[in-house]
Amino acid sequence: MKKHLFATLPLFAACVAVPALAATEADVENSFNPYKSGMPSFPGLTPGMTINKANVEQFKDVLGAGVYRLIKEGQFEMKVGATTQFAISKAYVDATKANLNKAKLGAKPGELTGYVAGRPFPEEPDVKDPRAGEKLAWNYKYGVNWGDGAIISPFYWKYKNMQSGQVEKTIKYDFHFLNFMHRTKDAPVPEITPNPSGIFRAIYVKAHEPADLKNTQLLIQRFEDDNKLDDAYLYLGFQRRVRRLAQGQATDAFLGSDLMIEDFEGYNGRVSDMKWTFKGTKNVMLPMWNHNELKLASDMPAEADGFKYVDFGGQGKCFHEGTWQLRKVYVLEAAPVNTNHPVSKRVFYMDAQIGNLNGANEIYDRKGELWKVFMVGKSHADHHLPINKGAGIGVDDAFSMVDLQSRHCTTGQFKGQVDPKKNPPGLFQVQNLRGGD
Amino acid sequence: METKHENGWRLSLIAAALSASFAGPAWSIDLPSLGDDNSPWQVDVTYENHTVRRQNVGLAKFRNTLQAEFDKRAADGWGIHGIMRGTWDGVYRMNSSEYGKDAGGAIALENRFDGSQAGLPPPAYNPQYQTPTINYGGGFPIYGAGTGDLRNEGLRVLGDRWHPTAGGVAFGVPVRPCDVDKRGCRDFGGYGDLSMNELEMPEFNKRLDFIRELYVKKTYDLDEGKQFFLKVGKQQVVWGRTDLFRVLDVINPVDYSRNNIYDELSDIRIPMWMIQGEYRMGASETMQDRNIQVVWNFDQFRANNLGQCGSPNVILDAGCFFRGMANLWDNGGTVANFAGGVLTTDFGPHQIGIRKVHLPDWSIGNTQLGAKYEGVTAGGLSFSLNALTYRSQLPSLRSINGKGTVNPFTGGTTGNTGVAGEGPPVAGLIAFDMHFPRVNLIGGSMDFQVPEAGAAVRVEAAYTSGEEFSNTARPGLYSKNNVFRAVIGIDRPTFIPFISESSATLISAQLFYQHIFDHEYFKMPLGPVGMPDWENNFIGTLLVKGFLKNGTLSPQVIFAHDFQARATAIAPQVEWNLSNDLKITIGANYKLADGRSRWNFDDCRSCNPYAPFTQVDPSQAVGQSWGLGGMEPLGRFRAGPIGAAFREDDIFIKLNYKF
Repeated sequence: MKKHLFATLPLFAACVAVPALAATEADVENSFNPYKSGMPSFPGLTPGMTINKANVEQFKDVLGAGVYRLIKEGQFEMKVGATTQFAISKAYVDATKANLNKAKLGAKPGELTGYVAGRPFPEEPDVKDPRAGEKLAWNYKYGVNWGDGAIISPFYWKYKNMQSGQVEKTIKYDFHFLNFMHRTKDAPVPEITPNPSGIFRAIYVKAHEPADLKNTQLLIQRFEDDNKLDDAYLYLGFQRRVRRLAQGQATDAFLGSDLMIEDFEGYNGRVSDMKWTFKGTKNVMLPMWNHNELKLASDMPAEADGFKYVDFGGQGKCFHEGTWQLRKVYVLEAAPVNTNHPVSKRVFYMDAQIGNLNGANEIYDRKGELWKVFMVGKSHADHHLPINKGAGIGVDDAFSMVDLQSRHCTTGQFKGQVDPKKNPPGLFQVQNLRGGD
Repeated sequence: METKHENGWRLSLIAAALSASFAGPAWSIDLPSLGDDNSPWQVDVTYENHTVRRQNVGLAKFRNTLQAEFDKRAADGWGIHGIMRGTWDGVYRMNSSEYGKDAGGAIALENRFDGSQAGLPPPAYNPQYQTPTINYGGGFPIYGAGTGDLRNEGLRVLGDRWHPTAGGVAFGVPVRPCDVDKRGCRDFGGYGDLSMNELEMPEFNKRLDFIRELYVKKTYDLDEGKQFFLKVGKQQVVWGRTDLFRVLDVINPVDYSRNNIYDELSDIRIPMWMIQGEYRMGASETMQDRNIQVVWNFDQFRANNLGQCGSPNVILDAGCFFRGMANLWDNGGTVANFAGGVLTTDFGPHQIGIRKVHLPDWSIGNTQLGAKYEGVTAGGLSFSLNALTYRSQLPSLRSINGKGTVNPFTGGTTGNTGVAGEGPPVAGLIAFDMHFPRVNLIGGSMDFQVPEAGAAVRVEAAYTSGEEFSNTARPGLYSKNNVFRAVIGIDRPTFIPFISESSATLISAQLFYQHIFDHEYFKMPLGPVGMPDWENNFIGTLLVKGFLKNGTLSPQVIFAHDFQARATAIAPQVEWNLSNDLKITIGANYKLADGRSRWNFDDCRSCNPYAPFTQVDPSQAVGQSWGLGGMEPLGRFRAGPIGAAFREDDIFIKLNYKF
């Protein structure tokens, strides 16, 4: 009898442990400030040094697999900076505290109940928790990302031949992001009403150049109900007509780039579209910097306010020239539920502090071979445009999407502005696409 | 001298446009700032060369287009947008024997009379009228024949481009530009009376079409996040959700002369001066989005440009029918296989043909008004409800019967026996005035996803009243019929590994349906009588478009099939973006038609307008057709735009460059 009791104890303990595992304010503190007790380090890694083909093996453990391969192949060299704090907005942190332990996973992936605002699962993820990956995915969905709303204007994308460096196409966009629900900072808080469809967040994109894409617009509406398909609309300037996009178009090359709509911001899909697996916690190099301290590009169009864009270098000028820093990350894998998906697996190195998914992503093709590496560099908001000071987000500043198979890349240079005035809700209605021009 | 003067004027206009376009960057400095918003003028200048080689014709297009698109944010939230476009198509000079001053020539018309057919006037049995063909102007003369301009030069036989006469009717059609040959020239609504300069530089006309778009716009912010959007000026207003088919997208007329149905609609809609106001209410407790739009088209009426006869793109070959008929009215002429259905006959002026074109003048009553409610339901269904009252952009030919026509048997001008007022009234006479009737439309559209199929679906439908159709069962040879049109389209991106393993191939299919209410179609002793348009018809389209090399190389093929006409168009093309600013497109356009035997229809040779002279049978009433028919003139409505373009197989290369 006693033996039997001991045998069942772990299972029982696991069951009764749920209340014991409830997040605490200390978990919140740890979640938003994982460097409270000091910055991470790795033997031989020092700010100011460069990781390149010659010394990459020494730092393999702190590099994402895709980034490691790119450096090893001599595609680019990584400039190392010091690990810095990327403090999240106080309003978001306060919302996390105020709503601690309210969010609960439902019976099936994609179901969440009780969520109000802030980071839904601030506790440290546990590899033994089979749904830890899903919790991190929810943390991302309801993450601070671009805050309650922001605009990237302009946003230059360049399609490049990685072998020759030839720029095949340059597109000038505006990207707008707006959270309709679970807002924590910008009025109206907590949500924009009325909102009968239950739109959680929307992205509105408008292309200004080149001529063949001028006035092309994209609207993506993601719903609070994660099991509801996104609505997406494309306005083709040359047709002057709005087309509703079929679901499959989110996984197609977006306007011929190396990105699919699902790649936006690291992952732009539903939680329920993927099977999420938390693989563990590590310290990994991510591209994070202070924009104003970088050597910036001199070959980009001038901005009236003097803003300059992040420069690109490396093979084919496919790699942003910012500094990388050692960060605490959660390694997360996402495998598409849809077997017809062009991707077999995505690997994310989720920054533990800011919760973003786009620092050094690996994207694997259907055969399971590494297809693309997506690296979005972030600037501290206080070291960027004056309007971003105090925004409490990591400002996406430059991206490299490198297709290792076709030796092609798409690069992005952002001018991100956290300015609520530039995101009226009407901009995110489908009528806005067809009504303007 | 006058021509030279006009040349100079037009060349100076296009030169001004060209220099303005090339001077884009300089404009940014020189143009005045309109207000205290310091946003500079944004000017994009593009050049396009579109060269087409057509089977049996040679060069069919050498079109060079310069377009400048400009925008500015002005004071107080106003925005200004404009597009200037200038085109020069060199085909009229480079292939002048087909489309320019040397086009056409002397013609002979088919004559099926061989002396064996009874019932014709005795002089018809002269051997000169028993040859298989008869030269233009040499047909059997009836009253008044030979008094008009019957020069046998610069002519084509009606329909010879797409079918043989084959026992039907045909007549000569002048095909040279109207400054070279004025015969049959009428303004049918922006075409039909154009000189060579006007054909080769179509935007430089009295309607100032080189100002392609010019409007101001402003969004007024109202309470509760609502907005009022106002756009005033020359503009396109696009309704509906489908491609190619204009079910709801009927506010702007269309210029088919530019490239038939094969250019993007945004390039061939004819912008109109309009006011568009849109009350954007946003979301409510039950709807995610609500908008009400009112459009007032206060511009003077414009018809669809169907293409002037003698130019490369004459959709349905209608422009040639109209010009030939107008020439018949003015000058008379030779009509193949007419008398007795076999004898090639010469008519005199004012006996048959098109007399007048009644283009609506500008008046408040002739303006056009539309309203639309556009919304998105809470469940994500995007839809619109539309209503429009407008003037038909397609012409209707109403028989004028005895009003002003000359009786070819007696010379009388009203009745049918020679003296005004005598005899039974004339009916079913192939003498017409052209009208553009008022049409009222109600309709709607919607789109939604079908997750199970991985597809997006769009639907559009409209019901119209007031449209007029050819109808040989009616004394006026037309009838007003209500029409229902609908189209359903499905977009499905699909991975097709042999095309691309990384990019989906877009498969887009559409099915268009048209039903004509109270359709009339009767079997008569010699053939069908009534409406040539099909009571029910479907047209299907299929687009397969791949994206290779990061979208810089895009092969595609479009299939279009008219089910009743049994005609198919296949249009493969490859688009190659060499750089941000340079794009080359190479393609072809082939038509197949195995339903030509189905296109023949009553041509009114047996309509009996002047009983008893024209009676086929003693029991035949005045204006009652016995159904003798052929391909002309009504077969074009059965063949549709694909069938009537049979033998217009093209290959083309298009170059686009942005400065």
